[in-house]
Amino acid sequence: MKKIINTPEGFIPEMLEGIYVAHPKELRPAGNDLHCLVSVRSHPGKVGIATGGGSGHLPLFLGYVGEGMLDGCAIGDVFQSPSAEQMLAVTQTIHQGAGVLYIYGNYNGDIFNFDMAAEMADFEHDIRVETVVVGEDVASPAPLEGEDNKRRGVAGIFFVYKCAGAVARQGKSLDEVKRIALKACDNVRSLGVALSSCTVPKVGRPSFEIAEDEMEIGMGIHGEPGIRRGKLKNADAIVDEMVASILKDLPYQKGDEVAVLVNGLGATPLEELYVMFRRVKQILDESGISIHRSYVGEFATSMEMAGASISLLRLDEELKALVDAPADTPFFKQL
Amino acid sequence: MMAMDSEWLKGLLEAWAQVMHKHKDELIALDGLCGDSDLGLTMSEGFQAASVMVAGLDETDLGKLLYQAGKAMAGAVPSTMGTLMASGLMEAGKVLKGRQTLDAAGLVSLYQAYYEGVFKRGKANRGEKTFLDGLGPAVDSLEVSAQRGADMAEMAKLAAVAARQGYQNTQGMLARHGRMAIRGELSKDYLDPGAAVAALMIETWANYTIGGD
Repeated sequence: MKKIINTPEGFIPEMLEGIYVAHPKELRPAGNDLHCLVSVRSHPGKVGIATGGGSGHLPLFLGYVGEGMLDGCAIGDVFQSPSAEQMLAVTQTIHQGAGVLYIYGNYNGDIFNFDMAAEMADFEHDIRVETVVVGEDVASPAPLEGEDNKRRGVAGIFFVYKCAGAVARQGKSLDEVKRIALKACDNVRSLGVALSSCTVPKVGRPSFEIAEDEMEIGMGIHGEPGIRRGKLKNADAIVDEMVASILKDLPYQKGDEVAVLVNGLGATPLEELYVMFRRVKQILDESGISIHRSYVGEFATSMEMAGASISLLRLDEELKALVDAPADTPFFKQL
Repeated sequence: MMAMDSEWLKGLLEAWAQVMHKHKDELIALDGLCGDSDLGLTMSEGFQAASVMVAGLDETDLGKLLYQAGKAMAGAVPSTMGTLMASGLMEAGKVLKGRQTLDAAGLVSLYQAYYEGVFKRGKANRGEKTFLDGLGPAVDSLEVSAQRGADMAEMAKLAAVAARQGYQNTQGMLARHGRMAIRGELSKDYLDPGAAVAALMIETWANYTIGGD
């Protein structure tokens, strides 16, 4: 393990300490627990939006707490869910009279704890909570009619935060904010590729083995198995394979307008992401799909994993306006 | 027969904490075959937190004690299994709210509610190789025993046998949940660690009940 840390145990508390002192005008802890982050700004009557999940994915999840996006976030240890009580503490703090919407990724530990927090918020504090679980990774099959969605939530959750956050900022009701979040989920798809593993500090060795000349298409952001492993190809061939899987899934069709996110997983340079984006644009042009807005950078990482993901959000006029709305958070600013 | 009141409940939670601590390494090994091998730690720490929480409460309402035990467990071990066990305790707490003591029917409803809490949280069905395949047969047995008016010692003995058998029967079942499910058909070869926890809980309660006779 080669990391700039003091101790594996101190990794998360010290990271959080750094976050608060770097962003004192944006974030504060709810109560005394540093794992419960809330925005310093409040807007009475606004629907509160909370997220949460394990650490190790910055800027996800806490980096999007701020104006025009989220109001609070509970985070756990590396790749571990925060507790229901931590989520409850966030919920109580960001409730401004209009209820709270939970938006988080489709992982069992998070689902169990958020569900429990929602029950506690209702049972103990009479706070109405609604939930939208994001699972947009096309590496696993789409759910059949009446089946639970087993797809993992990856970088595309950024678009769900963006749209829901923007509509909440307009002062819309909890039902309306939930409708928009679900609409964003219905229109977003992602797929990733991993070239090397991350290492969880407390474990001390890579989460999985992958040879120097190999890649894995569809690997999850905790190293969950993907669609296929094979020899590393060139950038265009990798992007061709990824975008083809994404396009046919929704499907995205000729005449569609989309927002694109090319996301680095932690150890892949921006230069490589732009090489990928160039190819994404070529394919979309050939397919008759126009790009309304583009995002290239690190939005959802897996510590020092090398690799990238591509997400597409299909837009109509309503979603377009929400994607375009301003946002001001520690890790994401849009004028 | 020990009265099933708040002191009884505090003793039961302490006994559960002790047995999870005693079987920690065994659960770690069982979970390590397919999972991330933290089950022994989370069960040991989780039941310990629940037990310590209620031991310090001056409260005779069994429902409130169970609910607080569940919250303490949820806060201490927010892992999948920790949250499931916390959900069982909290559901039992909601159902038994206002009760100072339990009779046989009340005892059955405690375990029924625990089962229901875990079921609602995890959304697994019987036969899908989970904790419920250990607890479910014990609840069935308790219901039958209560209906024919068996005494508590006999109810406990039969339920313990049913839970242990339920756990043994998870070998051969196809896993549908958690990391074990990734193994697909191969998962049939393994025993389910969650069901092992259920067997330990029921056996411990049985010993506690019969020992206190």
